Amino acid sequence: MKIITCYKIVPEEQDIVVKDDRTLSFDRAEWKIGQYDLNAVEAGMKLAEATGGSASALSIGGKELENSKLKKGILSRGPKELFIIADDYLREADTFQTASALAAAIKKMGSFDLILCGEGSSDLYAQQVGPQLGQLLGVTTLNAVSKIIPEGNKLVVERTLEDEVEVLEVTLPAVISVTTDINLPRIPGMKDILAAGKKPVTQWCLADIGTENIDCPTRSISTLAPDQTERKQIILEGEEAVQKLYDAVFK
Amino acid sequence: MGIFQTVFVYADKTEMLAELCAGGKQLGSQVCALVLGPKEEVDKAFSYGADSVYHLGELKDRRIEDYTETIIHLVQKEKPELILIRSSKRAKLIAGRLAAELKTSVLTDVMEFTVDNNELHTKRLVYGGAGLKREYSTSEVVVATVGGGVFEALIEDNSRKGNIVEVDFVQPAHPVRCIEIRKKESESVNLSAAKCVVGVGRGFAKQEDLTLAKDLANLIGAEVGCSRPIAEGENWLPKERYIGVSGAMVKPDVYVAIGISGQIQHMVGANSAKTIVAINKDKAAPIFKQADYGIVGDLYTVLPALIEKIKVSK
Repeated sequence: MKIITCYKIVPEEQDIVVKDDRTLSFDRAEWKIGQYDLNAVEAGMKLAEATGGSASALSIGGKELENSKLKKGILSRGPKELFIIADDYLREADTFQTASALAAAIKKMGSFDLILCGEGSSDLYAQQVGPQLGQLLGVTTLNAVSKIIPEGNKLVVERTLEDEVEVLEVTLPAVISVTTDINLPRIPGMKDILAAGKKPVTQWCLADIGTENIDCPTRSISTLAPDQTERKQIILEGEEAVQKLYDAVFK
Repeated sequence: MGIFQTVFVYADKTEMLAELCAGGKQLGSQVCALVLGPKEEVDKAFSYGADSVYHLGELKDRRIEDYTETIIHLVQKEKPELILIRSSKRAKLIAGRLAAELKTSVLTDVMEFTVDNNELHTKRLVYGGAGLKREYSTSEVVVATVGGGVFEALIEDNSRKGNIVEVDFVQPAHPVRCIEIRKKESESVNLSAAKCVVGVGRGFAKQEDLTLAKDLANLIGAEVGCSRPIAEGENWLPKERYIGVSGAMVKPDVYVAIGISGQIQHMVGANSAKTIVAINKDKAAPIFKQADYGIVGDLYTVLPALIEKIKVSK
C-alpha cells in the first residue's frame, strides 16, 4: 500500500502575543508540525507497517518548510521520504489553494493508494483540506475517521460523528482525514532523528507542479484577539477565602 | 442586510434548518432549503421560513453523503449566491467536496456575518481561540458552514407553504458501503444552555477525585464541564463535556473553574460567563487574570470547605 501523509507547518500558538491594538504578534512563535497532523503521520506508519507498504510525507507552505529541524521532525516519525513545495506565496493559502497545490504535487509524485490528513490544521482548523483534496483527485473521500483496519485491497474504517459511529468499507484509492483519537503518535528517539537526516527530501517550486496561478478565493481582512470580558480579578486568600467567595457568589 | 438574491440552506438534520432559514432571510431575498427525507421534513422546512424546497429524496437505505453529487449538480445548475450549511462532521465533508467542484474554499464555523460595502464579511476563531479572523470570499457561490446559535430561528408557522422541486438523484462516483452504525453511548448534555457550570482541569490528580466537583455541581445545580486534556488525554469525562474552542461554548451565570490553568483555548469557551470563579493552587496561573473571584489554594481543601459552607447555609 502506497501511503502519502500531508502535514502543515504552523506557528506555536502558545507563543502568540496579543499586542495593545489587539493584533497578534508571531515574533516569538516558533514553527512546528501541526499537532493533529502527527496523528495522520502515525496512522500512515501503522498501516505501512501492517501491510508492508510505504509511507511518504508531503507538505506545502512558506519558506519555513525548508527548516532542517522541521524536515527531520517529520522524517524521524517514520516516513521514508519527504516532498515539500515551499513558497511564501503559499504561506497564507486558503483551503482551496492548499488542496489544489497538494493535488498537483500528488499527481507529480505518481500513483498512490491512500492519502492521509489530520482532522484540521492546528492554526486555522477549517477541517477542509482533506475533503477538498479528495474531490480534486476524484477519489473516495472521508473525514472524522477514528480507526483504520486494512482488509485485502480495501479498508474497514470507523467514522466518529456527533452521535454515532459508522463502520465503513472503503475501496482504494482514497483520501482520509483522521481524528486525534485514532492513535498516540510515537515520540522519535535519537536513532530515528539521526536516520531522518539521511532520508531523501524532494523540493519543488510552484512552477514544477504547474500551479503558479492558483487563485485564493478567500480574502483575509484582519485577525485580532477576541474581545475579553472585563473581569473583577478579586483574589481571595487566607482563612476567610471560602466564606468571602460564598458571600460573593453562592449566597 | 439582504445583499443576496438566492440563498441555499442545508443541514444534515432537518430540525437544524430553522436557524439557517432565519439567517438566509437576513442575508437574501429567497431562501431555498435542501431537504433530504420524507414529506414531513419538507413541511418543517416551510414552517421554519423556507420560501421553496429542493427535495433531494427520501434517504431510505442510502447514506447522507451519497447525495453529495446530487447537491453539487443542483448548485452548479441553480448557482445560488450563498449556501449556508449547518456545521457537523458530515456537512463539512459535503461542503468541502462541493467547494472543490466550485473551485472555492469554505468559510467554516462562522460565528458572525456582517455586510460591509456590499460584501459579506464573516468571523471565526483561529489559533486555538487566540484570534478572531475576519474574511470574505470572492467566489461566485459563497459556501459557509455555521454553528448553532449564530442566527435566531423564526417562530414556526405550519401554515406556510411554498414551491417544491423534486431533484433527480445523481449516482455517487465512489460509493462507500456502510457495514454498521453504532449509536454513541454518550449522555446528551447541553452545556451551552446550563445556568451554572463547574469546570474541571488537570489540577485533579485522579478520576475518582472528580466526585468533589460533582458534589459541588449537584449542590448548586450546575453541569460539569472540563478542559480538553480531561476529555481527550485522560478520558475522565466524555467529549461532550469539554469546553473550549473546538468544544462547547458556555454562557452560564456562574462558571467555576477548578484546577484549570486558564489557557486561551479553554477560556474562549467560557468567556461569555457572567461571573467566573477560579480555584487553583498556582498563584501565577493565567486563570486569575480572567476570573472575577479567585481562591489561591489546594482544591482538595478549598472544595470540601466550600461544599460544607453551602450545605450548612442551605
